Amino acid sequence: MSRHVIGLERELREQGRRIVRLEGRSIGLFYAHGNWFAVRNKCPHQGAELCRGTVSGTLMMTSQHELAYVMDGRILRCPWHGFEFDLATGQSLAAPDRLRVRTYPVTVEDGRIVITV
Amino acid sequence: MPEGSRTPISLVDCDVHPAFREGLRDLLPYLAKTARQRIDFAQSSPAGSNFALPANPLYLNAGGILRRDASIGGIVPGSDPGVMADQLLTAFGVSRAILLASDILGLGALPDPHLSGAIARACNDWLAEQWLQADERYRGTIVIAPQDPDRAADEIVRLAADRRFVQIYFPLTNALMGEPRYYPIYEAAEECGLPIALHPGAESIYFTGAMPAGGTPTYYLEWHTLLGQAFAANLVSFLVQPVLNRFPALKLVVIEAGCGWVPDVLWRLDRNWMSVRDEVPWVTDRPSSLLFGHVRFTTQPFIEPETQEHLQAFCSIIHGDRTLMFSSDYPHWDFDSPNRALSRLPSDVQQRIRATNALEFYGDRLSHSAT
Repeated sequence: MSRHVIGLERELREQGRRIVRLEGRSIGLFYAHGNWFAVRNKCPHQGAELCRGTVSGTLMMTSQHELAYVMDGRILRCPWHGFEFDLATGQSLAAPDRLRVRTYPVTVEDGRIVITV
Repeated sequence: MPEGSRTPISLVDCDVHPAFREGLRDLLPYLAKTARQRIDFAQSSPAGSNFALPANPLYLNAGGILRRDASIGGIVPGSDPGVMADQLLTAFGVSRAILLASDILGLGALPDPHLSGAIARACNDWLAEQWLQADERYRGTIVIAPQDPDRAADEIVRLAADRRFVQIYFPLTNALMGEPRYYPIYEAAEECGLPIALHPGAESIYFTGAMPAGGTPTYYLEWHTLLGQAFAANLVSFLVQPVLNRFPALKLVVIEAGCGWVPDVLWRLDRNWMSVRDEVPWVTDRPSSLLFGHVRFTTQPFIEPETQEHLQAFCSIIHGDRTLMFSSDYPHWDFDSPNRALSRLPSDVQQRIRATNALEFYGDRLSHSAT
């Protein structure tokens, strides 16, 4: 495993998202609501550039059988077929055990963003 | 002598059609006065009445839709409980036959909720008295008129007390079955532990679901081939709308609508759901697994692919060892013989389809002695 400094936290936070190439792999870095995420830029379904999709929240049912908008900034939607992925865990929402994307640890060190691959 | 209560149940026929002897007249003694008044008045007119229970009048099967050999002594096929018991139950070793009156199938096309509700009630009382009393092997279907969902719910509760009734016939109307307006029916069905049953007969009658999609066919052959469409639409509605989220114990059986169309519906439904899951977040599991858990199909008319391999692959795709239940559709023309229809399947699968799946699906009401 090796650590890669991506850039200044302040800049990357403003950008919100950056796709970088680390050790031959395309990886997407995301920031939302104080959290950093990094996932492989390759959809486990059919290999699309997952990290070019939209980031938002999603809709779930509450225990009271009502609709709720949740997980804002944490759901990445593949640009090809719309499959939703939880950036925190890499799991798809529809098939969490079967379909998941690789995640990478992100840390903030001295004002810089570090991804460990 | 009826055997059902003492011998093991090895064959359940999930689609058998008792017929009226004289059409709607059979129901008159059971019909509430408020409904009978209107029908009597019309029929007493010198011109008579052309009021009849709705049925699709457009397509004629040149061979007729009833088996000629069921007309023993010139009776209307399926109208005599004793003849049916001999010709179907005893002859083929049927331990339990689930009855659904064929003349009532189009009830969903009668717009008047009061009249349709009264006819449904009369049909249920007729079945209980004329058929379920006649042979211990018969079980019944509660007919409801979904035009008034609250009264339909009352009717379910009323008949559920008679444990010879094992399911609820939901005649198709002009709205897909998953719509929230029908929730009172599903609430009562779930509460009473009774599955909902669909069956062809109400589509394409006046305002009910135009069938098939795309345009009006010319020939019976076209129409009959495409029968599955309305049921695919209703099944998808049932799985995608929040029905099973609200009523998680509810079950559905799709009778005589075929099952050959099921794989494509499931493949598309599963795949599309993965893309637009957030449109229907109450669907928390793959739609196909909802289907395998909650829905069953009767076998008749069973598919007859070219090869045994095709048949076995198909059965595997739809988890037929769990989802299929044998039916003959006696006394209709496309009757499936219990001895022949399943013969190309492995014998353990055959036995599940012949009885086990139905016993698991319908439970005690089916298996226990009615007396």
